Amino acid sequence: MDLFAGLLNGFSVALTPINLLFAFLGALIGTAVGVLPGLGPAATIALLLPTAYAIESPVTAIILMAGIFYGSMYGGSTTSILMNLPGEAASVVTCIDGYKMAQQGRAGAALGIAAIGSFIAGTVGLIGLTLFAPPIAEFALSFGPPEKFSLAIVGLLLAVTLSGSSIVKGLVMMAFGLLLASVGLDPISGKTRFSFGVTELQSGFDFVTLAMGMFGLGEIFYGLESIVKGQVVTTKVGSVWPTMKDWVESRWAILRGTLIGFFVGVIPGGGAVISSLVSYAAEKKISKHPEAFGQGAIAGVAGPESANNAASSSSFIPLLTLGIPGNAAIAMIFAALLIKGVTPGPFLIQERPDVFWGVIASMYIGNAMLIVLNLPLVGLWAQLVRVPFGILAPVIILFTCVGSYSVQGQVFDIYCLVGFGLFGYVARKLGFEAGPLVLAFVLGPMVEGSMRQSLLMSGGSFGIFVERPISLALVGLFAVLALGQLAVHLMKKKRKPGSP
Amino acid sequence: MKRIVASLATLFAALALPAAALAADPYPSKPVSAVVPFAAGGSSDLLARALEKSWTKYAKQPLVVVNKPGGGGVVGTEGVVRSKPDGYTLYVGYGSGHDVVMPTLQKMPYDPVKDLVPIARVSVHSIVIVTGAKSPFNSIQDVVAFSKKEGKPVTTAVSVKAGSVDLALTAFGKAAGVNIVTVPFAGGAESTTALAGGHLMIGGGHPSEVIPHIKAGRFKALAVALPQRDPSMPDVPTLKELGIDVALWGSIKGVAAPAGTPKEVVKEIEGIVKKICEDAEFKATMANLSQPVMYQGSEDFTKFIAQATADYAALIKQLNIKLD
Repeated sequence: MDLFAGLLNGFSVALTPINLLFAFLGALIGTAVGVLPGLGPAATIALLLPTAYAIESPVTAIILMAGIFYGSMYGGSTTSILMNLPGEAASVVTCIDGYKMAQQGRAGAALGIAAIGSFIAGTVGLIGLTLFAPPIAEFALSFGPPEKFSLAIVGLLLAVTLSGSSIVKGLVMMAFGLLLASVGLDPISGKTRFSFGVTELQSGFDFVTLAMGMFGLGEIFYGLESIVKGQVVTTKVGSVWPTMKDWVESRWAILRGTLIGFFVGVIPGGGAVISSLVSYAAEKKISKHPEAFGQGAIAGVAGPESANNAASSSSFIPLLTLGIPGNAAIAMIFAALLIKGVTPGPFLIQERPDVFWGVIASMYIGNAMLIVLNLPLVGLWAQLVRVPFGILAPVIILFTCVGSYSVQGQVFDIYCLVGFGLFGYVARKLGFEAGPLVLAFVLGPMVEGSMRQSLLMSGGSFGIFVERPISLALVGLFAVLALGQLAVHLMKKKRKPGSP
Repeated sequence: MKRIVASLATLFAALALPAAALAADPYPSKPVSAVVPFAAGGSSDLLARALEKSWTKYAKQPLVVVNKPGGGGVVGTEGVVRSKPDGYTLYVGYGSGHDVVMPTLQKMPYDPVKDLVPIARVSVHSIVIVTGAKSPFNSIQDVVAFSKKEGKPVTTAVSVKAGSVDLALTAFGKAAGVNIVTVPFAGGAESTTALAGGHLMIGGGHPSEVIPHIKAGRFKALAVALPQRDPSMPDVPTLKELGIDVALWGSIKGVAAPAGTPKEVVKEIEGIVKKICEDAEFKATMANLSQPVMYQGSEDFTKFIAQATADYAALIKQLNIKLD
């Protein structure tokens, strides 16, 4: 068996002391980066690129960078759960039920299940990567502009109906998100939109700044109000570990999330975010208690967290087999490999089997290291909710300011952060949720860009979205979901006047 | 008391020393920032990283790459233009689309020709017209024949709107009488991925973007849109050879400094870059990046940039391209 010989060879590369050390360093830095608000995996890998260039062996360099990437996916759930601060787009969904759980004193259970789910998903994703990389890569390529558009509108619909409190309010927030996303350079026409002559706005708003403002700062401003009113935030920690009941509720969510993440995550550009949305929606549909979602349902944490970790494994497939980087962090790894004289792509497995298999083997090891590293931390993190608000809030504000400044080194982004924070506060007061806005901001460019590309391809005919099988299936799914939502909405309205 | 005086004296001496050293030491006496106005991992960044790696062989102080992305390159470049012209802030990637193409299309916050001093050209990336391996097209003539026979538009993947690749393919369409519909993406990685999936008929790209796919048998190269063939793919004919009168300057990558940088400092940096361009290790790295080394000194590079800017302006006018 070529496969096993290759993997065995990979482990012999990955288990050398130096590579083990760098896999550990990568996992450690990744966890830290995931926990620190603002500093995303792509920014960290960019900072460490010169270090990676200085490392003699390309295998060691990529092991370090890959470790940072999947380590940060792992750590990203921590701030989402504890402080309502999503570090990257894929963990926005985790905030919804994760933060609610933390407020109910169940932070430990949420963090624990996120870590376990991440480990299972990461490892299963790797097994998928080992066994089926080439056919999965072909699947990823079959997503052209029309398919991406159809997938993205399904994602948008799921984002709107995410929490299910009010569809109209969700639509309003989605519209705001799409508007914010259209600030800056329009990739199709090359024109700058809504920049009002401000140079900093030419590149548009930054995701990290928007998410930290709308979620994190908005939450703190809201929290200030309850302090003034004399209410005290919960100081209960509760059980630090997930209980047997938690586990029973989440085990299938973890497996479903893994599968969804693996397949949807492989699609370049936006795959990971959509996979976490799809997983959340699926869990809510399947659950016997859909009303618990949004109120601290553990399956709502387990599913999406597993999905985004499986996606981080499968996003290596287009890089390793086609030489196509699917997201910003992977693009960085791609660049580092090129500088080291290794060309990722279809010939990698023959030309440099040590790199191909060494990296895959190191990811198995790194995942194991991450769970060992993270599980003991769960207890420590869970205590964080006991830190008085008066201490925690300024620390969070400081971190978010540093974080948004560090993205592009612009003070302007800090002003934006504060602005989004105030907006997030007002929205929350009025019962509008930040989730649909932030997710629409991420999906907006994908929806708009792929729609206009498709229409250029078809000469202006919308038929292109239903002529192609994958796109047709997705458009069909969209129609079914939208009609279903509409029916539910109308039924609710009808029932209301009659009910006592 | 004596000890205090002595230590104070030493302190002053220590403080005075770096200042004196600064005045006396030849350039560079401290690390040099190489500003790349694009994100890490792009072709300009890779070139800067390759320079960074070989720089210390020929200069006493290191070159430090700083990525300042945003506004299609304008934000970072403006930062260089506004920085102190002392040779310690350089712009790597000079000659990109926003330097030679954009000024014709939109108002810029600075003048890319007058506000920067070209120091050296490092590389020129040609523009290659390609098609998917499963495509019925095997040559440019096939594309022209298809268009003449079927009368249908030819969908074409290009990296960005109004970039050099977009201009080259639009110019090709006009010269050969082919109805080219360019579909712009958010960068070369996205456009080549869409073409590799067979979603468009033809596409264009720089060698670094298309060569890996050509080697993998996913793309067929049809033509090069530059005056001469690309050394990294000597079998591929130019459009001119095929009887289509289109030749562009490609994407230029050089080093520049803010206007007002002292002549001797420019000379010094030019010398360092020249030595790097002759370095075997640097050449090998650049070959692996599919970025051929095509060095030009400050004087020639200045003329080259002026020529390229003028030619692109004329082409844009001729093709009637506007941003809207």
